[in-house]
Amino acid sequence: MKRWLSGVAVMGGATMVMLSVAAWTKPDKAKQDRAAQIARGRFLMLSHDCGDCHGGVVDPSQKGWLTGVRGPSQEFKIGPCYVDPAAKPCFTTRPKNLTPDNATGTGRFTERQIFNALRYGLRPEETPDVEITSTTPGQGNFPLHPHYLAPPMPWWSWRHMPDEDLRAIAAYIKGGLKPQTNKVLDSEGPPDFWASEYTVEKIGPYPAKSYPQSETERQ
Amino acid sequence: MTRRTLRLHVALLAAVVSPVLHAESQEHSHTASVSEVIPVERAPGPAVLRNESRAPHTVEVTITAEPVRLSMIPGKSTVGYAYNGRVPGPLLEVYEGDKVIVHFRNRLPEASTIHWHGLHIPNAFDGSPFHPVAAGADFDYVFTLQKGSAGTYWYHPHPDHNTGSQIARGLFGSLIVRDRNDPLRGIPEKLIVLSDNRFRPDGSIDIADPESMQGGIDFENGRECSHIFVNGQIEPTITIRPGEVQRWRVINASAARVFRLAIPGQTMLHVGSDGGLFEHPVEVNDIVLANSERIELLVKGTGAPGSATVLQTLPYDRYSPQTRPQDWDKPRDLLKLRYTAWPLSRPVVIPASLRAIPAIDTSLAVRTRVFALGQGFINGKLHDMNRVDETGKLGDVEIWEIENIVGMDHPFHLHGFQFQVIDRDGKPEPFRSWKDTINVPKHSTVRIIVRLADFAGKWMYHCHILDHEDHGMMGVLEVN
Repeated sequence: MKRWLSGVAVMGGATMVMLSVAAWTKPDKAKQDRAAQIARGRFLMLSHDCGDCHGGVVDPSQKGWLTGVRGPSQEFKIGPCYVDPAAKPCFTTRPKNLTPDNATGTGRFTERQIFNALRYGLRPEETPDVEITSTTPGQGNFPLHPHYLAPPMPWWSWRHMPDEDLRAIAAYIKGGLKPQTNKVLDSEGPPDFWASEYTVEKIGPYPAKSYPQSETERQ
Repeated sequence: MTRRTLRLHVALLAAVVSPVLHAESQEHSHTASVSEVIPVERAPGPAVLRNESRAPHTVEVTITAEPVRLSMIPGKSTVGYAYNGRVPGPLLEVYEGDKVIVHFRNRLPEASTIHWHGLHIPNAFDGSPFHPVAAGADFDYVFTLQKGSAGTYWYHPHPDHNTGSQIARGLFGSLIVRDRNDPLRGIPEKLIVLSDNRFRPDGSIDIADPESMQGGIDFENGRECSHIFVNGQIEPTITIRPGEVQRWRVINASAARVFRLAIPGQTMLHVGSDGGLFEHPVEVNDIVLANSERIELLVKGTGAPGSATVLQTLPYDRYSPQTRPQDWDKPRDLLKLRYTAWPLSRPVVIPASLRAIPAIDTSLAVRTRVFALGQGFINGKLHDMNRVDETGKLGDVEIWEIENIVGMDHPFHLHGFQFQVIDRDGKPEPFRSWKDTINVPKHSTVRIIVRLADFAGKWMYHCHILDHEDHGMMGVLEVN
C-alpha cells in the first residue's frame, strides 16, 4: 500500500514535471509576437535615426540612447532666429526622453498615446488615451485644440507608416527600453501649438492620395 | 444730495471689504424674478444670509439662483446670474455643530447645483454633478458641521460640464464655519473674495467661443480675465488702524487665476488654509493662493498714521511657455490698504499656538493611488459620469500620489474629505494643515493622505481650473 502510494506520488510528480516541461517548451505565441514586435520597433527606430535627435546617440549600445537632449547644444531654435539669432519669434524646442521613466520619460503614456503621437502628431501628455478616428479638430476624438509635437519632429512623414509599424515603435519604447531619468525642459512654441504650421495645405492630406497622383509620380 | 449720489458716497466710504457682519444683521439683497430688472448699482461687500430658524444650533437659509442685471464694471450694466441678487453671493455663517438647512431655489434657465466646497458632509448634499437641480426646481441641502471643521469655505454650482460658465456669470458665495473657542476671537475680520471676469464692450460677460483662438487659450490657461474683483469691486479700499491686527479670510473664486499675495515692505502671518487654522502662525513675505483655495492671514498695521499701501498679486508662472499671458510677469494691485490717523494704543497679542492638528499616520495607509495629471484629463482618461474610476472602502486611510506630467500647474480638488499634504517632490511638508485643494505645480508630484471617513458615495476629484474640469479633467471615487 505504502509502495503503491509512493508510486502514485512518483507518477504524480512525473506528471507535474512533464506538464511543466510542456509549459516550458510550448511556444508562447503572445510572448513571441510581442518580442518580434519589439524587435521590429527597434529596427524602425534605428533605421529612422530617432536617436540622433533624442539623445544624440545612434547606437543602442551607447549611453544616452533615446534619453532625450542633454544640454543646450542639442536643442533646436525654431523660427526666423534659425538664420538670424536676434530675430523673433524664436522657439527653443527639445527632443524628449523616450525611455519609459515615469517622471521624465514616457512611463505615464500608453502605447496608444505614443501611436497617436506618431500618427497624428499629438503630444501624448496633452492628449487623452483614446482611439482617434478623424483628423478634423473636435471630431472623432481628435482634440478641438490639438497640441502638436514641436518641430523638427517629422511626424507628418512618419504618419504614413503602417499601423503595425507605429505600434511596433510604441512597443519598443514601452517594452524594450529601460527607464532612464533625464528631465528635458518643455519645448516652447506658439500659442496654437503649431496648428497653423500643420494644415493640410502645408503637410498634405492624411491618408496620402493614392498612387500615382502628381506630375512627379509616374503614371 | 440725491439718493443716487448718497448711495455712491456710502459705497465709497464703507470699507469695500466690509467687516464680516453677524448673523443677526439683516440681509439687504434684492431678489428678482427672471423678468424683473434689478436697479443698476455697485455690489457692496458680502451680505450675510439671514437665519430663518429659531431652533437652537440650527441655521436655515434660502438661496435663490437667478438671472439678474447688475453693474459689474463702471458705467455698464451686465446680465449675469446671482445668488440672492448679489455677486458674490451672500455669506453663510455657521458654527461647528450647527445643523444647516439651505432651501435652494433654482430659478435659472438651466440645471444647477450648490457644491459646498471643502465641507465634509453626506454625499447626497455635496451638490456634485450626480445630483443636479433642474431649472425651476427646489432642493434642500441639509447637513451638520462636525467639530474641528471651523474654517473658510465657499459655495458654487457644479453641474456636469457647465460649472465654468455658471461661475463666470456670477454664481459663487462664501461660507464661514466658526469655532466658539476660536483662538483668534476678538481680532477684527475682513472677508476677501477674489474673482476675475471679462466683458464685451456692451458690458455683457464675454465667454469665448470654444473654437476661437481665445477659446483655445482659455482652454489652456483656464479663463483668466482682465478685470480682477475684490468682493465684486475693482481695487477697493480697506482701512486699518496703525498697530491694529486684522484677520483676513481670502477666497480665490476665480476660474483659473492664481494669486501670489503680498503687501510690499511688510510680512504677513499665514494662520490658516482650506480647512481652518494651522497649529502655529507662519511668517511669510507672500502667499500663493491657487483658484478655489482659501487662506487666513493676520495683517499687522505697521504703517504710519494716514499712510497707505496696497495688497498686490505678484507674478506667478503657472503657465506653459506657449500660452503665458502678455503681462503675467507684472505685479497688480488688488486693493488699497489705508491707515487711519488713530493708532491703536494697546498692543494686540497673537497666540503662538492656535490649535492641535493630529497627523494622519502614514503607516495606517492601506493603499497608494497614483493620479497622473495631463492637460485636460487624469490618468489618460476624460471624465465619464457613467464610469467609476476608483473605488475605496469607507474608513480607509489612503495615500494619493498626484503627479503633474505637463508644463502648467493644476490645482487638484477632492470632494467631501479634507486631507493633509505629506510631501511635495519628496520634500516633507513643513507644517500640517487641512486642505481640500492642492496646487500641483508643473512637472511635480504631491503626496497627500486622506481618511475616507463617514460618508459613502460617489465623490468627484478634479482639476479646479474650471475649463479643464468642464472639459473632463475629473474622475469619480466611489466609497463603499
